[in-house]
Amino acid sequence: MTLHLADYLIIIIYFIFVIAVGFIIKNRIKSSNDFLNSNRSIPLWITSLAFISANLGAQEVLGMAASGAKYGIMTVHFYWVGAVFAMIFLGVFMMPFYYGSKARSVPEYLSLRFDEKTRGLNALTFAAMTIFSSGISLYALAKLLEVILHWNFDVCIWVAAGVVMIYTFMGGLTSAVYNEVLQFFLIVIGLSPLVIVSLHDAGGWSSIRTNLQPELTHAWKYMGNAESNPMGINFISMFFGLGFVMSFGYWCTDFLVIQRAMIAKNMSAAQRTPILAAIPKMFMPLIVVLPGVVAITLMQPALQSKGYSIPLDAKGALDYTMTLPSLIAHYYPSGLLGVGITALIASFMSGMAGNVTAFNSVFTYDIYQSYFVKNKSDKHYLYVGKMITLIGILLSIMTAYIAQGYDNINDFLQLVFSFVNGPLFATFLLGMFWKRTTGHGAFWGLMAGTLAATITHGLTIAEGKGGWISPMFEIKSGMGQAFVVATFSWLTNFTSTILISLVTKPKSDIELKGLVYSLTEKVNASEQKWYLKAGPIGIILLIITIILNILLF
Amino acid sequence: MLEKLNQLSFVIGVFFVLVSLVLFGEYFFSDLPKDINLYTGIGMLVFGFLMIRAKA
Repeated sequence: MTLHLADYLIIIIYFIFVIAVGFIIKNRIKSSNDFLNSNRSIPLWITSLAFISANLGAQEVLGMAASGAKYGIMTVHFYWVGAVFAMIFLGVFMMPFYYGSKARSVPEYLSLRFDEKTRGLNALTFAAMTIFSSGISLYALAKLLEVILHWNFDVCIWVAAGVVMIYTFMGGLTSAVYNEVLQFFLIVIGLSPLVIVSLHDAGGWSSIRTNLQPELTHAWKYMGNAESNPMGINFISMFFGLGFVMSFGYWCTDFLVIQRAMIAKNMSAAQRTPILAAIPKMFMPLIVVLPGVVAITLMQPALQSKGYSIPLDAKGALDYTMTLPSLIAHYYPSGLLGVGITALIASFMSGMAGNVTAFNSVFTYDIYQSYFVKNKSDKHYLYVGKMITLIGILLSIMTAYIAQGYDNINDFLQLVFSFVNGPLFATFLLGMFWKRTTGHGAFWGLMAGTLAATITHGLTIAEGKGGWISPMFEIKSGMGQAFVVATFSWLTNFTSTILISLVTKPKSDIELKGLVYSLTEKVNASEQKWYLKAGPIGIILLIITIILNILLF
Repeated sequence: MLEKLNQLSFVIGVFFVLVSLVLFGEYFFSDLPKDINLYTGIGMLVFGFLMIRAKA
């Protein structure tokens, strides 16, 4: 793949704009609250698009195209079973507690609801995970540009990190959020022509259905038996493992995305942020999953004259991660190629900036201010927040270089993340909806859930991974194994939190007011028009999602 | 103008107008013009102007 002047111009324009946004926002930053929390002043359309864009990092864009090629149309379950339902649940039921408690972060909510040790555990694991995610995103970007454009790895690392550093250091969270919106439009508009031309070249949807094996073109039809679909899981694992545990665990507890809703202007906007974000999310498979399905179709015997193939990895197997870049290289001419490459760069930078700004807030508020230096002036915490931005970027660069030296570090870290994130939703669910849940129950339940995840992984093996205690159970795909691990960790956390809570002392009702469903005054939104309420919009979106599932049954 | 720059929709609009101009340049001045650059450029130009005109 070779870039020309027009392509470089587009990349340069993008870099100038994202940096300029940082400089424009800089004048608005007067306090730590402005820098770390955007002073809860961001309009709804921006928080909604930033909410979805914070998740639209490289793992999403490249990973979902790769899954589309590997598992076929079943990949839409990540959206139509997973994300959309969880986002609606977050908006309708959970945002009132996150936003209404006036907590500045998710760990701070845990401190209000439970105790300091639960907050500390969540803050430390979250801070570590965001830095690792940011570093791996940076590594993956540099590696991709090195492979497809033969750019220097070190230059890619330092330039990309430098640009993110400038705009997050200047404008903090607001700057990151504004750029996420720009990145969202760039990714969607930049990749849309690829979907159109590649789908047209493959002969349209009817040709895909004709040329691919049926299990790759149906979302539900082959889910009755784990052996008959490419993901190797049945519908129960899909509903519970992905649809409930993993998706709710991510969308309803991960501060990286929830932070975007917490900076909305008021409660109504905060509730509608994830719900409105669910609308573009619902149609995102068209941009990120469909190209993968098209790519694998183009490799079928009847379409080999098109001359497209997914590149092979060092072992001679299909390198699914390269699905999207290889489609861009195949279909985009100079000019649009620059747009496609910039869209990929934007997805990596969006992921990195999102992680760094979330790390900032959690480290400053939940670690530094809570455990080390309390009661200092706001100017002091603003200064610390800015310094933490620099440190976060430097740690990300360090992680990127560590990742370069270890082939499997990404897999290993993703595994650790799943161990930590898998059980987390049980803690929040019980904490928000069962007032008897105690701090000890939450803390030890989380520990037990993480331990259960580790043991389950040690006893199951999939695609050569896991089974390090004893490979007692074989699962067809790594994805299926992730669902099973998440399910066991969630169930363990759920039951152990209940059991421990029943034998330990709960907080009083007065302390829990506004933090638990049964002790929180319900908002009377009767004066609002129906289309401004979270509930009715959520129901409409649920109906549309169900219809989409039926259409691709 | 400074007030406009503080408006995100305006900034996004200007970005897409500029990118569309690059695509038009590539289409009209290239030895091998590709229609996809023209069509995408038109799409981005329309989107860019809509964003510029949008009220915050």
